[in-house]
Amino acid sequence: METMGIIFSNIYDSFMGALTEKRTSASIPVGGRYRQIDFILSNMANSGVRHIGIITKYNYQSLMDHLGSCQEWDLQLNTSGVVFLPPYATGHTGIYRGKLEALQTALPVLSYGEQDYVILADSNVMCSLDFRKVVEDHVKSGCDVTVVAKAGLADGKTTQHFALRIDENNRAVSMGVEYAAPAGDLTGMGMFVMSRKLLLETIQETVPHGKYHLERDFIMESFNKGELSVNVYPFEGAALFNQSVVSYYQNNMALLDADIRRSLFKGDVPIYTKVRDEVPTLYGKNAEVANCIVADGCRLSGKVENSVIFREVKVEEGAEVADSIVMQGCTIEKGASIQYTILDKDVTVSAGTKLLGSPEHPLIIRKGVTV
Amino acid sequence: MYFLKKRCVAMLLAGGQGSRLKVLTENTAKPAVPFGGKYRIIDFPLSNCVNSHIDTVGVLTQYQPLELNEYIGNGQPWDLNSSHGGVTVLPPYARSKKSDWYKGTANAIYQNIPFIARYNPDDVLILSGDHIYEMDYAKMLRYHKQMGADCTIAVRPVPMEEASRFGIMNTKEDGSIFEFEEKPKKPKSNKASMGIYIFKWDILRKFLEEDEEDPKSENDFGKNIIPNLLNAGHKLYAYEFDGYWKDVGTINSLWEANMDLLGDEPKFNIYGSAGRKIYARNYAMPSAFIAKGSEISDSFVAEGCEVFGTVRHSVISSGCVIGKGAEVRNSVIMPDVVIEPGAQVCHAIVAEGCVIKAGARVGADQEGNLEDLKITVIGKDATISEGTVVEPGEII
Repeated sequence: METMGIIFSNIYDSFMGALTEKRTSASIPVGGRYRQIDFILSNMANSGVRHIGIITKYNYQSLMDHLGSCQEWDLQLNTSGVVFLPPYATGHTGIYRGKLEALQTALPVLSYGEQDYVILADSNVMCSLDFRKVVEDHVKSGCDVTVVAKAGLADGKTTQHFALRIDENNRAVSMGVEYAAPAGDLTGMGMFVMSRKLLLETIQETVPHGKYHLERDFIMESFNKGELSVNVYPFEGAALFNQSVVSYYQNNMALLDADIRRSLFKGDVPIYTKVRDEVPTLYGKNAEVANCIVADGCRLSGKVENSVIFREVKVEEGAEVADSIVMQGCTIEKGASIQYTILDKDVTVSAGTKLLGSPEHPLIIRKGVTV
Repeated sequence: MYFLKKRCVAMLLAGGQGSRLKVLTENTAKPAVPFGGKYRIIDFPLSNCVNSHIDTVGVLTQYQPLELNEYIGNGQPWDLNSSHGGVTVLPPYARSKKSDWYKGTANAIYQNIPFIARYNPDDVLILSGDHIYEMDYAKMLRYHKQMGADCTIAVRPVPMEEASRFGIMNTKEDGSIFEFEEKPKKPKSNKASMGIYIFKWDILRKFLEEDEEDPKSENDFGKNIIPNLLNAGHKLYAYEFDGYWKDVGTINSLWEANMDLLGDEPKFNIYGSAGRKIYARNYAMPSAFIAKGSEISDSFVAEGCEVFGTVRHSVISSGCVIGKGAEVRNSVIMPDVVIEPGAQVCHAIVAEGCVIKAGARVGADQEGNLEDLKITVIGKDATISEGTVVEPGEII
């Protein structure tokens, strides 16, 4: 079964605060050496998806730089591979408001494709998922659309972006967008499978009528009219949703848990990322590092605990880092200390400076700043 | 097919067995031996080539080439996956007559004259795949041109009292070589050959062909080609290099070269000078996890590791697990090794994929000169069972 992939790179930019000031949410660094898109792209590439369109609208330089020729995902192909789909602005189309509208940009790719099925996916969920299983399940179900969803997140209090209730055959019986679904409902992971033909027809029928929200204006509306059958694929492994700065912070910290690491990095498929050829991390004579994720190329001489440390970070002797996310190229100088802080790339925390956020409101220091 | 003329083609001799590395090279060629946490020995000459803008490299393989061939692949990690040039693996091959294994270093190049001739280079750079160093071959090439040399040999100063262990170049003041002595009893100079040569292509070709005709020749650069060039009155120059260079041909030198990466001011700066990184093939590994209760000091720990125990003055390669209460001191742990809780590893090299079971003791703390250290070596994929004691200097 030939399947094509479409990845949305910007949809949740506005929820991510300063982290998306100069990048797409797809290219937000996570987990020491990854960018968010690595997960969905590796899931697709390792499930035999060989033709992938990445829909983007602005701030996409860092994303293009990260993906390059996509050789790390073995997608540097002659016949297909990855295509970037920036807004295809003609007189009639402009910057899109939602995923359905954004798909207009992908119309040429979708129409010329020869694949039977299409996977549509957000890029803000970290998981290791084999899409071959999802597509097989979709075909077997005979339904129009399959939604990948995670059980156990809905609790009647937190708002779910897309919630579904299912019967014993995993068929959706009801669904809702942006509501506090009761416990027992599943949460959509922003991943959908349908036939390429249905998707093409849908775009052509809905977008000209001003509809732009994929879940609300297409899936839920057609389902409620009885025109669309929806199958749900319950995903069993760990799935971390980065939907806000706080959840981003919590999800990075969640990687300190052995079970979550196992599910993400030794799960259905391996997760690839861009290779940067860093030297292994050097631990100084008096380094004190405890409960941390550490990427390569760092020089750690101070005290670092409960933190996620990206590449080429320097923690000088006498500096202290706790409960923080420190991105690539940061330096924490002698005597400086940070806690509950997210340092974006290339930040220098000068000697003696103390930064303190809170778990509910981690302090974000913008890229390249010296504090 | 049209081959663009290249100024310089590099030929990397990677076929040696490296028998002094014992179990470490039992099933793999020496250049494929892991080094420095995430590298292999061959990454150094290959990265040097790319950093010196040499884009055409032939790698001569012979002994246990599987792992090495797979590692080199299409040369992409070193930017050597070009359509015009790039890296080419050159194993010995069968011919209509006179098929042979590579008999010596010179014969290996002789058998690949057609490869070099396609690019019709001005010069050929001969390298070996068993040294750890960072060198700008472009500088050496400029010197070679400037001197109008037929052959330029890289040399480095060694202590005079050790000079009798090396191939020594005796030079005049202008750097020209008038004599070459292999392991001289009474050395006249301390300029030791580094096994790095640049030849004018037409001259190299002529001497390789003549050497092949000589049935008494050992077909070796040091023993035959260089002396023959000297005797024929060709212009040979010594190019002096004073950076870090280490032949990692023995267990102790391999161990020492790994240790030379550590410290605030390491003997060998593996970070490379500006823009001259060492490149390696990378695998999909998550970042390292350093647990609460672990203690790591004065060490390299690469990606993909999980450390729960104690690591001091050691190199831990990618994908290793150091269990709770385990201790690793003054050791080189190659990729994907598991050291179970409570095990101890001291002054040892543990090869890829080994499992040191709970409570086992490998090697012992030692002091003294490098030559006297008894480094314990555990060969690839070995399992040291629970509670076993492996003595210092033992090789398994």
